[in-house]
Amino acid sequence: MQWLSGLGRRLLMLVWRRRFDYDLEEEIRLHLELREQEKREAGLMPDEARYAARRQFGNPTQLREVSHDMWGWQTLETLMQDLSYGVRQLRRNPGFTAVAVVTLALGIGANTAIFSVMNTVILRFLPVPDPQRVVFLRVEGRPDNTSETGDDSRTFNEYTFEQLRNERRVFSDLMAFVPLGIGGVAVRYGEDPEIVPGDMVSGNFFSGLGVEPARGRTFTLEDEKQHAPVVVLSYNYWTRRFARNPSVLGQTLFVRGVPFTIVGVAARDFWGVEPGQPTDVWVPLQNRPEVTAWGGSADDGTIYSTPAWWCLMMIGRLQPGVSRTQALSALNPLFQRIAYEGVGKRNPKERPPQIYFTSARGVEWGDTEAAQPLVALMAMVGLVLVIACTNVAMLLVARNTTRQREFSLRMALGAGRMRLFRQLFTESLLLVAGGALVGWVFAGWSGAALTRWAGLDFKVALDRTVLLFTVAISLVAALAFGLAPLRSAVRVAPGLALKTSAASGQDRARLRAGQLVVAMQMALCVVLLVVAGLLVRTLRNLETADLGMKASGLLAFGITPPQSVRTDAEAIHFFQSLTERLRALPGVESATLMGNRIGAGWSNNTNATVDGVSMKDHQPSSMRWNAVGPDYFHVLGTPLLLGRDFTDTDSASAPKVVIINQTFAKSYVPDRSPLGHYVALDAKPGEDHFVVIGVAADSRYTGVREKPVPMAYFPYTQLSGTGTMHFELRTQGNPTALLPEVRRVVREAGPDLPLIQPMTQHQQFEDSFSQERLFARLSMFFGLLAALLVATGLYGTLAYKVGQRTAEIGVRMALGAERRQVLWMVLRESLVLSLVGITVGLPLAIAGARLLRSQLYGLEPGDPLTLAAALAGVTLVALVASLIPARRATTIDPIVALRYE
Amino acid sequence: MHQDEIPPGTLYLLILRTLARGGELHGYEIANSIQRLSDDVLQVEEGSLYPALQRMLIKGWVKAKWGVTAGNRRARYYQLSPLGRKQLEVEVSQFERVVGAITRVIQTA
Repeated sequence: MQWLSGLGRRLLMLVWRRRFDYDLEEEIRLHLELREQEKREAGLMPDEARYAARRQFGNPTQLREVSHDMWGWQTLETLMQDLSYGVRQLRRNPGFTAVAVVTLALGIGANTAIFSVMNTVILRFLPVPDPQRVVFLRVEGRPDNTSETGDDSRTFNEYTFEQLRNERRVFSDLMAFVPLGIGGVAVRYGEDPEIVPGDMVSGNFFSGLGVEPARGRTFTLEDEKQHAPVVVLSYNYWTRRFARNPSVLGQTLFVRGVPFTIVGVAARDFWGVEPGQPTDVWVPLQNRPEVTAWGGSADDGTIYSTPAWWCLMMIGRLQPGVSRTQALSALNPLFQRIAYEGVGKRNPKERPPQIYFTSARGVEWGDTEAAQPLVALMAMVGLVLVIACTNVAMLLVARNTTRQREFSLRMALGAGRMRLFRQLFTESLLLVAGGALVGWVFAGWSGAALTRWAGLDFKVALDRTVLLFTVAISLVAALAFGLAPLRSAVRVAPGLALKTSAASGQDRARLRAGQLVVAMQMALCVVLLVVAGLLVRTLRNLETADLGMKASGLLAFGITPPQSVRTDAEAIHFFQSLTERLRALPGVESATLMGNRIGAGWSNNTNATVDGVSMKDHQPSSMRWNAVGPDYFHVLGTPLLLGRDFTDTDSASAPKVVIINQTFAKSYVPDRSPLGHYVALDAKPGEDHFVVIGVAADSRYTGVREKPVPMAYFPYTQLSGTGTMHFELRTQGNPTALLPEVRRVVREAGPDLPLIQPMTQHQQFEDSFSQERLFARLSMFFGLLAALLVATGLYGTLAYKVGQRTAEIGVRMALGAERRQVLWMVLRESLVLSLVGITVGLPLAIAGARLLRSQLYGLEPGDPLTLAAALAGVTLVALVASLIPARRATTIDPIVALRYE
Repeated sequence: MHQDEIPPGTLYLLILRTLARGGELHGYEIANSIQRLSDDVLQVEEGSLYPALQRMLIKGWVKAKWGVTAGNRRARYYQLSPLGRKQLEVEVSQFERVVGAITRVIQTA
């Protein structure tokens, strides 16, 4: 208690510091006067009385300091002193401060931005309480007699879910979820249908994860048991579609034509548990044929009726205190028993199925597909930070040379080395703090741009982890460049304060260090420029690749037949009449359709069978195929090398025909005309044979990066299993201008039919390399940034050097050196540095480029054109940076230079 | 007159005792009082009173108030607090214990 009131008094003193000092001053003064008076009365002369009083008292200054320090705030006070002094210094050199802060801001900001993306994509847990306990369930060795949809390792059947959810020893909650459609489900609110990602989930989904509703309520076990027609919206969807209207609760949302009541909105930052895509709507597990798992048709059955269909995914919350190994050893024996329930007997030669867990963290983008470029980006941006820090270090060293006298004076007056260290380090921290603040803002703004470029649907948040990262690298940066100038600063001999001449031998060592730093910066710059060049050229190659078709002027969109269409014949009829109506639209030159959209990455693959003989032992052996509509090649603009295109006459009752591509003909039917030969979809006897009626030029199917493969095109009217088809409409003008009319026509065909991913075909291809585009743009930005930083660093060094050698240059010019020679003297310096930088940087760059081989397209890592361009770029940077100091050197007036030594 | 230095740490003791005699004194008066009562034997560097007084203020052993001297000068008057009174007892007993021990050591030949 006593301690507390003592602290209270001390805090008071801190606030009223000046008052305290003043009071003490007055006390001491009174004391001295009284003592002096006493001495005078004792008979001493006034002067002697004063000296005697002083002697008896002691050293007032020291006593004042000791009294002041009694209150225990020295550390704080020196810190405040250092800070205010540092701020004053920085303010007095606004140019230097601005350059340093901006340099640091760029370095720190760029790092923070990339890290925040990395954090969201790779590191961050689900935004639920206690996320380390939440795990996804995966299976290895699914039983043979089962079929699955979705990812092979993620899906289970409903029976397994029911059995495992009761294992209270292991899970405090086990939740199931399954998408309502691949890529999304058709929903409608009001007039316009659209496709949004949606999941069917178990009743304890939200409660088990710990997600609170932002509005209304989430699901209960009752909802699941009753298969209630209720739906929960995501916060993002509620904002996007309903403008956060609170009266949305109780309204109807049609899911695949079935009315559901909106009962709640999920918490703000909860995106669902689907990998790679935020979920917009959730419904409880349903038992009706219209709303099925994975958007399957009604004939496929529900999750409850077919134990052989493994399509349900599971996520669980482990009981506290149960480790993963414990959980798995408890679960697996049970699982191995129930996995075969309703499926058949277990084949003894088969490996038993196993459950394993994966963490609920990151965005789980399939593989490390997104991780690799991100890590590469982090490396690049780390290099940029190194360059930035070394720049600021050089700036500081240069500036400290002008403060030599200040330091030596302070040391002569008794300042210890530590005191100076603290002072300089505080100044470094101030710069870093300023840079970090500006960098944080910069990162926040650019993070939003980054995600838009990358096509990520997730909002990349600057959360605590990112903040910690920023603080950590700021401290590292401060240490890195803060300590460099310290050594040189405090090695100053105190006597230097008395000297007036500026020349000193220490400058040479410092100069050498500066040169080394600039050379190293150039090397790093070379690396960054080479990488940037390679990636930019890759992008260019992707953009200008020959696609084998005319991709511009095409509108693409997908249509799924309505629920009322049950059989293949009905589906074909549906699409045929829709095609007619679309053809009739003004502005539409021609129309066709296909099963897999070009450029979307999906394809059908199987073994090729020519003339009844399977090609499976052949090299190559497979064929890619697509179900397409009439006029296909005409609409796409792919030339036909032999034979004819599909027409309306190639209907279900007509002879079965096929068109193959060039590669197919070359691989499987070489040296003869392929027309008239037969192709089958499967080598099984009894399969239909399709007559080859044409050979088309090779064109891209799955995406721009595809290498030519044997391809076969079948008329969709002659195949079974017609489901979602994608239309291509050719038009003269802007394809998207057709959309309103197209929507109208489609709505006539069915009110609940949304257009699936409507976009121009050109856009579709561009999307297929959106990641490369992002990568290229970012690396170009970093390359340019690095070049800019190196240029400023080089400029600083050269300017300083010229300043130091002013006298020398003056003498040279006075002795007859021409301006040209002086110019060359300065330029030579920067060229030598560039050369050193290039020599070191080039092998590094090539090594780095090799690591990126998988990202490149159309060029090798050691591509000479790119390397040459990068080297030329670095040399150009060096020359430009040396221009001003070189000019300044040539304009030195010898007389002026020699006068002011 | 040769004055002896006071042993370190006893300054607090002396100030506390001086103030314990009651009333309010300012720094000059405290210095004079110590000098007088010790018959001029103890030489206290007068300035060192002030840090000590500051310390005692922090710890709450004394209270201070600004007042006016006889000569119409502004001065800070110190007064012993109850906490200080307790501290005085502690210090006195400690001092006597130490002195007693030293005396015993000296007297035992």
